[in-house]
Amino acid sequence: MQIDINNLSFAYGHKLVLNNLSLTVRPGDFLVVEGKNGTGKTTMIKCLLGINAVPNGMIFLDHEDINAFRDWTKIGCVSQSVDDFNYEFPITVNEILTMSKLRKIKQNRKLKLLDQMGILEILNENINALSGGQRQRVFIVKSMLNHPKILILDEPTANIDKKNVEYFYQTVNELNSEGTTVILITHDEFLDAYNWSHILQLNTDLSYSYRTRKQFAEEAGRK
Amino acid sequence: MTGLFGSFIIDLFREDFMLRALLSGLMLGVLAPIIGSIVVVRRLSFIADTLGHFSLVGISVSLFLSVTLPRTLAVIFSENPQYLGIVFSVIGGLLIELFRRYYKSYKEISMPIVISLGTALSAIFLSISGKTGALYNYMFGSILTVSWYYVILIAITLGIVGLLFALFGRQIIAVSFDENNAKFMGVNRGLFQLIFIVMLSIVVSVLLESAGVLLISSMMIIPVAAAMKVGWSYRSTTGIAIVFSELSVFFGLWASYSLHLPSGAAIVAINILILVMVALIRKWVMKHNLKKHPSEPQEVE
Repeated sequence: MQIDINNLSFAYGHKLVLNNLSLTVRPGDFLVVEGKNGTGKTTMIKCLLGINAVPNGMIFLDHEDINAFRDWTKIGCVSQSVDDFNYEFPITVNEILTMSKLRKIKQNRKLKLLDQMGILEILNENINALSGGQRQRVFIVKSMLNHPKILILDEPTANIDKKNVEYFYQTVNELNSEGTTVILITHDEFLDAYNWSHILQLNTDLSYSYRTRKQFAEEAGRK
Repeated sequence: MTGLFGSFIIDLFREDFMLRALLSGLMLGVLAPIIGSIVVVRRLSFIADTLGHFSLVGISVSLFLSVTLPRTLAVIFSENPQYLGIVFSVIGGLLIELFRRYYKSYKEISMPIVISLGTALSAIFLSISGKTGALYNYMFGSILTVSWYYVILIAITLGIVGLLFALFGRQIIAVSFDENNAKFMGVNRGLFQLIFIVMLSIVVSVLLESAGVLLISSMMIIPVAAAMKVGWSYRSTTGIAIVFSELSVFFGLWASYSLHLPSGAAIVAINILILVMVALIRKWVMKHNLKKHPSEPQEVE
């Protein structure tokens, strides 16, 4: 999936968070978004997901303006906090995953993804009984179930411990090598684990830099 | 046991009104928790109360029309006030959804607004029609006085709700648990919220006659509240809620019959009793388990 961002600006009230951001994510790209707190990383993701409303002409998903875009099942996303989900009512992992089974999903894809994430054994457990990291992994699996053309991940490993995060790197890299476009917000300490192709750095003064991995490495070498 | 229940069971089949009460009660016992589970998940526990009040507007408008319209037309409204009850309940449901979208971060504001409007309009129409005496029945309901016509109405409602759940249950549940991410699963959030709210409004107005404005929400919410504490999945929780609900209908009717208590109140009292018992048993079991396995390993993330 291709994403075109044209002069995207976004403000909460009078506070400008994104200023004239422009870039193109091509099919198969792996874009890493980096920046300190408050530089608008999550805001940008929310714009791309249609959660923050933007005027026509700023964001195009597969050449279609985001405000006219309807094919949201092409997108898989995991937000920073999966707190949107209602946890207090009993529901099993399997029920959560079949909830998204609105299109036919092969049973073995579900099991394979759960296995890759190291949570196969909790398939029939109540989500209330799981740790934050396990929950996070359930939602990562959910985002990948529909064979999305693009995965948008906002600090997905925030709650996951070191032992299990390896599986996550592998799975994301594997999906990207199979052609899935990836946009990922992460901290620089984890950068090397991913096969990313482009990097977007957002700065506190609202400026930004967008480079390929090669350009990024050359610059780092010069320093 | 036979002494306690014998005459109750015999009368169930001998007295037509008892059979009607039991049949409608058992159907409500399935209907209320199915809808109630979704209501609880969506954190709309007060919605049944709100819709009940708004449904009452339909009833009072019916009573008002039955005294103001010419006789031939008036009969329609005096004999079947439920029709307008259903219409107004749906209007109330749509108003709540409208206000929920308007006050995005304070969605519960929608309910006091609609509840007040409903109460005010009901009071106005009841007062001009001079039929304030009818109020008691609609406030507390009476399952013992329902007609065969009402039994059929519940059966049809149960059929429609069952069909809608068979067709769209997964979408409705997806939207209820995770409103913001439903679209990534291919679920049209607005559409399924609308389908649910219309379904809920109809169920509430149907419950009005047997449970009354003040007790509708208890039939929907309390069995689910108890089941939540013992269920391990969505399906099992709803199933357990239906069992609790049926038990309370059966024993509530028995208590109402043997002790001459108002039926709605008896059913709700049993519901609460079940809730308390579940809480106590659960507490005891947890304490017991803790003694048995004092240091169960916990995964640390």
